[in-house]
Amino acid sequence: MIKAIDLTKRYGKHTAVNKINFEIAKGEIIGFLGPNGAGKSTTMNMITGYFAPTDGQILVDGENILSDPEKTRGKIGYLPEHPPLYLDMKVDEYLKFAGRLKKMSSEAIAGDLNRICELVKITDVRGRLIKNLSKGYRQRVGLAQALLGNPQLLILDEPTVGLDPKQIIEIRNLIKDLSEDHTIILSSHILPEISAVCDRVLIINKGSIVASDTPENLAQNLAGMHKLHLQIKGSEESIRAALESLDFQNNISMTGSSEDGVMSVVVEAGKETDIREDVFYALAQHKCPILQMRPLDMSLEEIFLNLTTVETGGNE
Amino acid sequence: MLAVFRKELLTYFTTSVGYIFMGVFLLISGVLFTVGNIFGMSSDYSAFLGGLIMIFLLVVPLLTMKIYSEEKRQKTDQLLMTAPQGTMGIVTGKFLAAGALFLLTLIITGLYPLLLSFHTKMDTAQIIGTYIGFFLLGLSFISIGIYVSSLTDSQAGAAILTFCVLIITWIIDFVASFMPVTPLAGAVFALIIMALAAGWMYNATKNIPSAVITAAVGVALTGILFLINQDLFINLIGKTLSWFSLTRRFSDFPLGILKLNAVIYYLSFSGFFLFLTTQRIEKQRWS
Repeated sequence: MIKAIDLTKRYGKHTAVNKINFEIAKGEIIGFLGPNGAGKSTTMNMITGYFAPTDGQILVDGENILSDPEKTRGKIGYLPEHPPLYLDMKVDEYLKFAGRLKKMSSEAIAGDLNRICELVKITDVRGRLIKNLSKGYRQRVGLAQALLGNPQLLILDEPTVGLDPKQIIEIRNLIKDLSEDHTIILSSHILPEISAVCDRVLIINKGSIVASDTPENLAQNLAGMHKLHLQIKGSEESIRAALESLDFQNNISMTGSSEDGVMSVVVEAGKETDIREDVFYALAQHKCPILQMRPLDMSLEEIFLNLTTVETGGNE
Repeated sequence: MLAVFRKELLTYFTTSVGYIFMGVFLLISGVLFTVGNIFGMSSDYSAFLGGLIMIFLLVVPLLTMKIYSEEKRQKTDQLLMTAPQGTMGIVTGKFLAAGALFLLTLIITGLYPLLLSFHTKMDTAQIIGTYIGFFLLGLSFISIGIYVSSLTDSQAGAAILTFCVLIITWIIDFVASFMPVTPLAGAVFALIIMALAAGWMYNATKNIPSAVITAAVGVALTGILFLINQDLFINLIGKTLSWFSLTRRFSDFPLGILKLNAVIYYLSFSGFFLFLTTQRIEKQRWS
């Protein structure tokens, strides 16, 4: 549905987005992930036509967005980073205005408004001035604006910012429901959110895509190592002897812990091996009881940090 | 366009801006009318409307200062610019909304000549003519205000700058009368304009040959014209400056003369500034 070819945006000498390429199929939910200033919002602004790319092009349904911008913009519902709200308007007035901007008829707006206000749960504030609403409600009014007219493509820039945990879950479920008949691009710096909702993650850093895969694959491929965190009762030497008797390539780091005579140990092993049983038997032989064992899977968070700090270290 | 028009007009009345504009305008015009026409026992209504121009200069910035600067500051321009609407339509919608509020205020002042007509015989055609002129002049002021508002994201900055520009258009005739009238001065002025055009060309295209060509063509044209007919350059500065004098063309309307060229001048002046505003906003996509 969307294809970006060598998409580039420069502000003067600063390159915000540098030759990125991606393709998004109909019905997919894609997450843009990246630190602040990575180029997520700029990329979204280019897809929605707010900015024109300096170089490269964006195709929506196979058509360059610059060839008929008004038509393309009509297919897209956009929630920018700062919801574009007129603070002096009432929620209802604002949404009606947004509907008219999208060239909807009055009847269509009236019908759609009831449905969407129920969906994002703002029915009870429809008569209030936007400036009197809390951040969470404003965010949802912005989301309602994006959903108006049922556009095929939804672009949501950090849709859950400012919401409380319960609302975040509601919005997340809403996005999942919407994904059945919409293509959705969302950005976030909250990693669990991306992994909970998205089919695919694009990790963007310093204007380039550094990884693109499903959240699960990213976790698997990039984790590299299995790590175990152990609390073991025994002396440092006997624990080390027990663990070094195991025949896999391992890396042991040991620190003392708050409990007397208990060591806190982290063991690493190759990614396809499950070492938990071997570790148990080896330590049992050396009469070092395991008090606690916990696998340390590399979280999306760590992958993200790895990708955005290590790999790009040499580039710039 | 219609959506933006409705929203802007609504916003004038849900915020204080519309009321302040109408209130200030009606208060001052009311005082002037009472003092000049009622206490002064004068039925010369056109003179009164002519005097209102100064007040209008003061209150137009109120009407237009927010119109784009606030969109930028609140980032609501993102909604407008990603909607399936053309930029020209959006700008025109805003312009018409400000124009409609101004028209509404003018209609209220229509009560004054009505009051006078109870006591004396009024020249209806002349009053209507003056009103048309005043409305057209107002539209031109508003179009300047909208353009200035699109340059900045500060309301106060937009208001002050609009006020300054309007004052300049008001005194420009006076300034023009002090400009040198010799053909040589006119030619130098023409060359400066050509240099500015070349500079603008370079700024827009970043292409040195095209700027050089523009400059060369300009210089050649000025030179040829200067050799053929020096009279063209007599008082060129003054003539050019007074092209921007909005108030000068108003002077025929109070006499009851409805000149087509003045009407076209005002409408094209407004259109030109709306076009500039559109260009200015579209350019932001590319910067």
